[in-house]
Amino acid sequence: MKTLKLLLAAALLAGLGGLGFLYSGWYPMGADVPHNALTYWALETLRERSIARSIRDIEVPPLDDPQMLLAGGADYNDMCAGCHLKPGKASSDISQGLYPQPPNLAMGAAAHGHAHGSGGDDAHGDADASAARQFWIIKHGIKASGMAAFGPTHEDARIWAMVAFLQKLPTLNEVQYQILTARAPGDMGHDAHGAAAETSDAPASDAQDGHSGAHAH
Amino acid sequence: MNHSTRFLSILVLSVSIPLGYAHDPKEHAKEAAAAKAGPDCAAMKDMDHSKMDPNDPVMKAMMAKCGGDHADMDMKGMDHGAAGKPAGGSAEPHDHGSH
Repeated sequence: MKTLKLLLAAALLAGLGGLGFLYSGWYPMGADVPHNALTYWALETLRERSIARSIRDIEVPPLDDPQMLLAGGADYNDMCAGCHLKPGKASSDISQGLYPQPPNLAMGAAAHGHAHGSGGDDAHGDADASAARQFWIIKHGIKASGMAAFGPTHEDARIWAMVAFLQKLPTLNEVQYQILTARAPGDMGHDAHGAAAETSDAPASDAQDGHSGAHAH
Repeated sequence: MNHSTRFLSILVLSVSIPLGYAHDPKEHAKEAAAAKAGPDCAAMKDMDHSKMDPNDPVMKAMMAKCGGDHADMDMKGMDHGAAGKPAGGSAEPHDHGSH
């Protein structure tokens, strides 16, 4: 009984200590001061376990349609390249300033600086797992990382097109990237796509993640 | 090292270090202009066609994007043999007139 009381008292003290630390304002929240190793491990583990659990039922559609590459490439260049870079660009103001630093998606998963323990040559597991992971992250974003959720404003098919482009991105050179991502004359660009999607009668997204067919815009 | 030399060294360092990390605002203008540029299809002519796979989705997408702009490309240089047959079983014709 005495041991139980001691344990309860220790737990209470630890809780109060934690609360006191939260309210003290001592933890550095600036993006230019890295987390300590314990916080980093805890947050990364939380993120990776959550994503791994969430992508289990996602069905990956065929991603080798050239029209998907064109649609996804233009969207990537408009929305993602500022943080996730492109061939010939190793850093940007945003990529250097964000914390955690966004992965350079123009490099292969194994080379872009962090592994996720999925095994295999690809640090994100096999190609389907990598594609499902990218789809989920683009659609839902990641809390407190700077990664926005594009699901509320983009249909699943459009997100899959970005995933198709991401699968090819590490293999592209600067010329290929420029041609694939440049908007053709008369293409009003990303904002016009968004406006069209908003006025469309089609549903903004499917009820279930990743179960829509893939089609190019 | 006397005081004036030390002061001068500190002054030079304090000015030069921030300049080393800052960049010219014109870089943003260059990137904005590049973002508005159309596809640089002329650059396809300089690519090594012998290493191109006409069945590669990236190559197909580039062809689709550039349309008639690459009509004068020497498609005979492409490595059609290495590409094998597409999933459908028959080789796709490289009919550039249809782009």
